Amino acid sequence: MEENKETIQKNTLAMPIAVVIAGALIAGAVIYSGGKAPASGTANQPQQQQVAQQTGDLEQMAPVTSKDHIRGDINAPVKIVEYSDTECPFCKRFQDTMNDVMDTYGKDGKVAWVYRHFPIDQLHSKARKEAVAMECANELGGNDKFWEFADRLYEVTPANNGLDPAELPKIAQFVGLDTAKFNTCLTSTKYDKHIQDEVENAQATGGNGTPWSIVVGKDGKKYPLSGAQPISAIKQLIDLASK
Amino acid sequence: MILDALQKVFRKPAYVVIALVVSASVFVLAVWLPNIRLVAGVVSSSDVPFVSKIQLPLSLLGSIGTNFTPLSATYTIAIAILFGMYIAMITYFLKRRIREVGQTGVATGFLGIASGVLGVGCAACGSFLLTTLTLVGAGGILTLLPLGGSEFGIIGAILLAVAVYMIAKKIIDPQVCKVEN
Repeated sequence: MEENKETIQKNTLAMPIAVVIAGALIAGAVIYSGGKAPASGTANQPQQQQVAQQTGDLEQMAPVTSKDHIRGDINAPVKIVEYSDTECPFCKRFQDTMNDVMDTYGKDGKVAWVYRHFPIDQLHSKARKEAVAMECANELGGNDKFWEFADRLYEVTPANNGLDPAELPKIAQFVGLDTAKFNTCLTSTKYDKHIQDEVENAQATGGNGTPWSIVVGKDGKKYPLSGAQPISAIKQLIDLASK
Repeated sequence: MILDALQKVFRKPAYVVIALVVSASVFVLAVWLPNIRLVAGVVSSSDVPFVSKIQLPLSLLGSIGTNFTPLSATYTIAIAILFGMYIAMITYFLKRRIREVGQTGVATGFLGIASGVLGVGCAACGSFLLTTLTLVGAGGILTLLPLGGSEFGIIGAILLAVAVYMIAKKIIDPQVCKVEN
């Protein structure tokens, strides 16, 4: 009898305990991911990471300037600022989506696509070097070569850290860059700060996964977009941002 | 046995409606989760035309095909369906034998949905799972997981299936005083 009572009590407690655990996990995750960012994966930058975790405001997005990597007209009324990780499979997919978007809206100057780096070191340790490679392509061949390199890189990488680093000079050669200069650039650390700044800016705006995009409207209003969304959703957002 | 329980519950339209509403809600929430800020902003904004308030959130549902792997899309849909079934069945059970509710796999069911949420979040690179694990100081664990975090979604679906089985067993279980051997 006593045992039965205990069993009933245990079973009665099981439900509230489970609900509390589930609720705490979900709420914690929602709160944490909604306003903060994950660790950048660079263990030597705890202070910077802390700063990023205290924010999550779209208005902190670094303004688009001519120094950015831009496909389309910088003066386009709608700008899609994408923070991307070259080894993220969803970024690979989103690269194609964005190219389709630019085929539709880029030619007549309605939309500009701004590419910024957001390598997630914890998941893709090779992505940061690939970001450096893209900067090297830009240094050696300008904006056009940057985008050619980016398109080719996303095309050949199997994603999920699957690209052999030996492919990077081959991609450079494929897009017509001087591979000797490219390799020299690749071993330097001159773009490390620039890439880290973009990672921190992504986090400061609330990016906690890739691809992370901010659609900037005609009136300057910003819309957050997380993940590889379908082209229909991007078009809806462009229409909204154009008004 | 499980089929008998399902027939018993779902021949009543009210429980079919409960299951459908809960399943649809879980599915929509799971797909919108990475963009809940955008959806909330658009829906609540007075500047956004009514048509856009409907069309944009609907178009985001298409991300089940673009922002999910085949595996994560499968377990997300499975979790949504199982959770809908589970809630309908537990409602059916509650109306009859409220004292025994603790034996119906409630804990298993809710842990299933909690685990499922972590798996769903992993659909986008690093979004939900990584932040959650970082929160509990275990961000590095992802590199050790062969499926990169999808394990949580699979465990979630299994736990929910177990919970559905447990409630089905209880629904079929006749209300008699058993003779102790």
